[in-house]
Amino acid sequence: MKPSSPTPPMHPQLMILLELQDLRAKYRELERDEASAAVEREVFNVDPDEALTGLGEAIEKLENSLSAPVRARYDRISPNRDRVVVPVLRGVCYGCFVSIPTATAGDQEVNQVLQGCESCGSFIYVVT
Amino acid sequence: MKLRDLFTPDTVKLEIDSDSKDEILKELIELLELDDKSEAILFKTLKRRENLGSTGIGKGIAIPHCRSLVVEETRLAYGRKSNGAEFQAIDGEPVHHFFLIVAPPLEVSNQYLPILGKIAQFAKDPDIPEKLLQIDSPDAFLTLLEERGA
Ligand SMILES: [Zn+2]
Repeated sequence: MKPSSPTPPMHPQLMILLELQDLRAKYRELERDEASAAVEREVFNVDPDEALTGLGEAIEKLENSLSAPVRARYDRISPNRDRVVVPVLRGVCYGCFVSIPTATAGDQEVNQVLQGCESCGSFIYVVT
Repeated sequence: MKLRDLFTPDTVKLEIDSDSKDEILKELIELLELDDKSEAILFKTLKRRENLGSTGIGKGIAIPHCRSLVVEETRLAYGRKSNGAEFQAIDGEPVHHFFLIVAPPLEVSNQYLPILGKIAQFAKDPDIPEKLLQIDSPDAFLTLLEERGA
């Protein structure tokens, strides 16, 4: 069963950032988390080094599809943190745990605009 | 942490309709009842993972898995395709049983890997694939997990 209300549209660049976020998380996990890499190797027969190469290429391709201003901000924040997009749950930024009163989960239009948290600088994705 | 507690009858589908890998992934994702955008993102992320190598681990079992921002907590779903589907599994055999795992990017409890391990262990138990083919309701699936202490 689907939620009855129609899904609000999302900013296309936010879609790319979310995809990038998931890919970067997988990359980090394979690179730094020995237990995860071991599971991928032993249960799923994946070569972690090959996987990292493939993921790296996919990440680069997506990064290149960001618009110039978004890319500039992305380049500024991505080297220093694991997450470039952070969820906002019940009005709280999960990057820095500061409340963002303007981005509330009740606002259906909120992910149509690409927003950043003023406190920590991350792009935000409001979980509705 | 018990697998039994992470499934509900709603997240168990005993007859997957689709035949292709993509459509099967979408059908599994639908069981989680996310909004359309989240479904689309999750599909892409799962596809990316499949591109690294099939999550079909052999013996008719696949465990598509990923971490994604679109879930707040670890979510599981089970789908069955009685006549099997081509999923590029490690042993080249058709896949009948699909266990979907989606975890948030960061979790305090770090359940993801233990859950993945438990499912792999449960599903690889020699008589489980056959038993899974015999169950006739989502509740019977949950009971089977319970019986195995999984
Ligand atoms: Zn913040």
